[in-house]
Amino acid sequence: MQQSAPRLILKRRARNLGSKVLGTAATLFGLSWLVWILAVTLFNGARALGLHIFTDITPPPGAAGGLANALFGSAVMSLLGIAIGAPLGIAAGTYLSEFAERRPIWRETIRFVNDILLSAPSIVLGLFVYTIYVRQVGHFSGIAGGIALSLIVLPVVVRTTDETLRLVPNMMREAALSLGIPRWKVTVQVLYRAAAPGILTGVLLGLARITGETAPLLFTALNNQFWNNNIDGPTASVPVVIFQFAMSPYDAWHSLAWAGAFVVTMVVLLLSVGARTFLLKNRIDSNG
Amino acid sequence: MNADAVEARDRTAVETRQDTLFRFVLFGAASVVLFVLAGAALSMLWGGRLAFQTFGWHFIFSSDWDPVGKHFGALVPIYGTLASSAIAMVIAVPVSFGIALFLTEIAPGWLQAPIAAAIELLAGIPSIIYGMWGLFSFVPFMSEHVLPWINDHLGPLPWIGVLFSGPPLGIGMLTAGIVLGIMVIPFISSVMRDVFRTVPASLKESAYALGSTTWEVVWKVVLPYTRSAVVGGIFLGLGRALGETMAVTFVLGNAHQLSASLLMPGNSIAATIANEFTEADSDLYLSSLIALGFLLFVVTLIVLACARLMLHNLARREGR
Amino acid sequence: MGSEAAAASATETANRTDGAAGSHSKVSVRSLDFYYRGYHALKNINLDIPERQVTAIIGPSGCGKSTLLRVFNRIYSVYAGLEASGQVLLDGENILDRGYSLNRLRTRVGMVFQKAVPFPLSIYENVAFGLRHHLRLSRGEMEDRVERALREAALWDEVKDKLQTSAMGLSGGQQQRLCIARAVALRPQVLLLDEPTSALDPIATGRIEQLLSDLVKEYTIVIVTHNMQQAARVSAHTAYMYLGEMIEFGTTSDLFTRPQRRQTEDYITGRFG
Repeated sequence: MQQSAPRLILKRRARNLGSKVLGTAATLFGLSWLVWILAVTLFNGARALGLHIFTDITPPPGAAGGLANALFGSAVMSLLGIAIGAPLGIAAGTYLSEFAERRPIWRETIRFVNDILLSAPSIVLGLFVYTIYVRQVGHFSGIAGGIALSLIVLPVVVRTTDETLRLVPNMMREAALSLGIPRWKVTVQVLYRAAAPGILTGVLLGLARITGETAPLLFTALNNQFWNNNIDGPTASVPVVIFQFAMSPYDAWHSLAWAGAFVVTMVVLLLSVGARTFLLKNRIDSNG
Repeated sequence: MNADAVEARDRTAVETRQDTLFRFVLFGAASVVLFVLAGAALSMLWGGRLAFQTFGWHFIFSSDWDPVGKHFGALVPIYGTLASSAIAMVIAVPVSFGIALFLTEIAPGWLQAPIAAAIELLAGIPSIIYGMWGLFSFVPFMSEHVLPWINDHLGPLPWIGVLFSGPPLGIGMLTAGIVLGIMVIPFISSVMRDVFRTVPASLKESAYALGSTTWEVVWKVVLPYTRSAVVGGIFLGLGRALGETMAVTFVLGNAHQLSASLLMPGNSIAATIANEFTEADSDLYLSSLIALGFLLFVVTLIVLACARLMLHNLARREGR
Repeated sequence: MGSEAAAASATETANRTDGAAGSHSKVSVRSLDFYYRGYHALKNINLDIPERQVTAIIGPSGCGKSTLLRVFNRIYSVYAGLEASGQVLLDGENILDRGYSLNRLRTRVGMVFQKAVPFPLSIYENVAFGLRHHLRLSRGEMEDRVERALREAALWDEVKDKLQTSAMGLSGGQQQRLCIARAVALRPQVLLLDEPTSALDPIATGRIEQLLSDLVKEYTIVIVTHNMQQAARVSAHTAYMYLGEMIEFGTTSDLFTRPQRRQTEDYITGRFG
C-alpha cells in the first residue's frame, strides 16, 4: 500500500499531463485545418482576382470571362431571402418570446421544430421549394432561389430574436405596461429597441449562412450563363457557378471558381466577424 | 384630484383589437416554421411516391442505379452517407472533446475567446469552400502522401486490411469522411464547451479539494454530469454530417459502386441528388432522387430531434 | 436615528396630514384573494390606503407584499395563470372588474420598480414616453410636462443640459429618479413603489426618501420595503404581511411601538426575518 501510493500518484499525474497535451494537440489540429483551408482559398482566389471578375459575365469553356452575372444573381437572391426570411423570423421569434404565454405546448413545439430546421440539410429545403413552387410554376427562377434561401434564414432569425428578447429584463416590460401602453407598442417601441443589436446580429448571421449555400439553389434557380435581368427565370449564383466550374476539366473555369470562392469566403468572414463585433460593442454600450 | 391628470380617452377597445391583431400576425409567422418542416417532409414523400410505389422496400436494399433501364436503388447512396458520416464522427468526436477540454481547463483566460472564435470560423466556412479546398488541395495531398502509405502498410493487414487497400485515387470514402469530420468539429466542440461550463463550480471545487487532478475532475465529474448533453452534441454533429452536400460531392467521386475499401469512390444521398438532378430525364429518375431526399430527411430529423431532446434535458436541469 | 425616534417623527407627519387630507381612503381592498398558478398567494386581504399619505407594506421575503402591489395596477394580467378575486376599490370603483379599463387604471396608478429600468432612449424620451402615447401635446407643452416631472423627481438640475443623451449613462440613483419622473409625468393619483431603493447606496436611498416627503403632497404613495427602518422613516401607515395574509395595519408609530399582534412584534424585533 505504501509503495504503490507514489506510483499511483505518478500514474495519475502522467494521465493528467497526457490529457493536457492531447487537448492542446487537438486544438492545434483543428486550427491547422482552418489555416490550411483559408490559406489555400485566399491564395488561389487572390491569384484569380481581377477587375474582369466584376465586369464580365461567365464565359463558355475556353473563353475568358468573369462572374458578374453570378455576383448579381447571388446579391439579388440573398436580398430576397433576407426580405422574406428576416421579417418572418423576427415576427415568429417575437411570438415565441412575448405572446405565447398561454400556449406553452405550441410554443415549445415551435421552438423544437425550429431547432431541427436550423440544422436540417439545406438540400432538403431546396427540394421542398422545387416541389411546391418550381413544379407548380413550371420553370426555375431567381424567385424560387430567394424563397429557398429565406427558408434557411428563417430559423436563424427566429432563434436569435427569441433568445435576445428573452434576455430583456422583465421589469422593462412591466415598466412600459404600467404606463398604460398596449402590448404591441411595448414590444415595438421598447423591447425591439432594447433587443435591436441582437436581432440585427441574427439577420447578419442568416445572411452569412446563405451566402455560401449551393444545394438549395440547384433545384430552384438553377443556373444561367448569361446576364439575367429577369428574376423570374433561371438565375446564376456564385456558389452554383463555382460548383459547375470546379467540377469541369477546364483550367480557366477552375480559376474563376477560385475567384468566386475567394469572394464568398471574404463576404462570409466579414459578415460573421462584423456581426459579432457589432453585438459585443452594443452590449458593452448598453451596460455603460 | 391632480390637475392635468391624464384623462385617457377610453381607447381600451381599440387597443385590445390592436393587440389581438398583432398577436394573430405573430402567431401566423411562428406557425410558418411548423409548416415548413411538415411541408418539406410531405412534399418529398409525395415527390418520391412513384419510386416507392415502383420499387417498394426493395428501394432501400438495392444497389442498382440504371437510368437507362430505369432501375434505381438507394443502397449505394445510403451506405456512402452512413460510412462517410461514421468516419467523420470517429475523427470529430475525440478532437472536439480535446478542444473543449483545452478551452475549459487548459487554456488561460485571455486565450479562450480568440481560440473559440477561430474554431467557430470553421463552422462558418461554406460547404462549397470545403469542397474546393478538398478537391484541389486535400485530394492531391491524400493521393500523393497519405493513401499510398495506407495502402502499403494497412492494406496487407488481415481482416481490416480490405478497408484500406486500393489505388490512391485521392477521391474516395476516406477523404470524404475526413473532410466531413473537419466540418463537423466546431459544432460538437462548441456544444461540449458550453455544456462543460454549466457544471457548477462548487462541484468541481469539491473534487479538487479532494486532491483530484484536472483530468480526473473532467473525466469523473464533468463528463458524467453533462453526459446526456454531450451525446446530444454528438448527435448534432452527426445530423450535420449526414446532410452535408457540397463538400462530399466534390471529393467522394460520384461512383455508384459499393466497395469495402475506404479508398474507393462512392456516393452519398446528398451528393447523388446534387449531381444528378439536372440529368434526371425520366419521372422515375426524378422521383427516385426525391425519394432519396425523403429518406435522408427522415433520418436527419430523427437524429436532430434526439440531439435536441438530450441538449434540452440539461438546459432544463439548469433552470433555463 | 433609532426606530422609535423615527416612528415618533412619522407620527407627527401623520397627524399633520391627517388634519389636512382627512382619513379619506383612496384605495380600499376588500376580501382580496390572489392565486399564482393554483398557489394561494394572497389570502383574504383587507386594507384601506389613505389618500395623500405614504403607506408602507413590510414583511419577510415571500409574504406577498410585492404581489399585493402588483394587483393595484393589474400588471399581473400579462402573465398566464394568475387570478385575483375580491375587490380593490379605487375611489369607489372596483378595478378588478372586467369592465374597468386597464388603460385608465394605469394612468391613475403609476409604478416604480425594484431595479431602475430606463428605456433604451434619451432621458427626455423616457419621461415623454407615456405622455406621447396618451396625450396630443404640442412641443412646448411636452417640454413643460417633461421638465415638471423631472423637477418633481428632483432630477431636473442634474440632467437639464443633457436631455437628449441616453438614459443609460446616468448613475443608478439618477436612473431610479428618472423612472419616478417617468411615472409621475402622467400625473397618476397613486404611486406604487416596489422596493425602490434596494439596489441603491445609502446616499441615493436618502435622496429618494427625501423625495417621497415632497411627492406625498400630490400623490397617494404605497411603498413596499424589506427595510423596516425605511418604513419607519417615510411612512405614515404601515401594513405587516406574513405568508400571504395581512397580519396588522395601523399608523406607523403604533405598529412599531405598540404592535397588537404577536407575529408583528416578532418580526419588528427581529426574532425572525
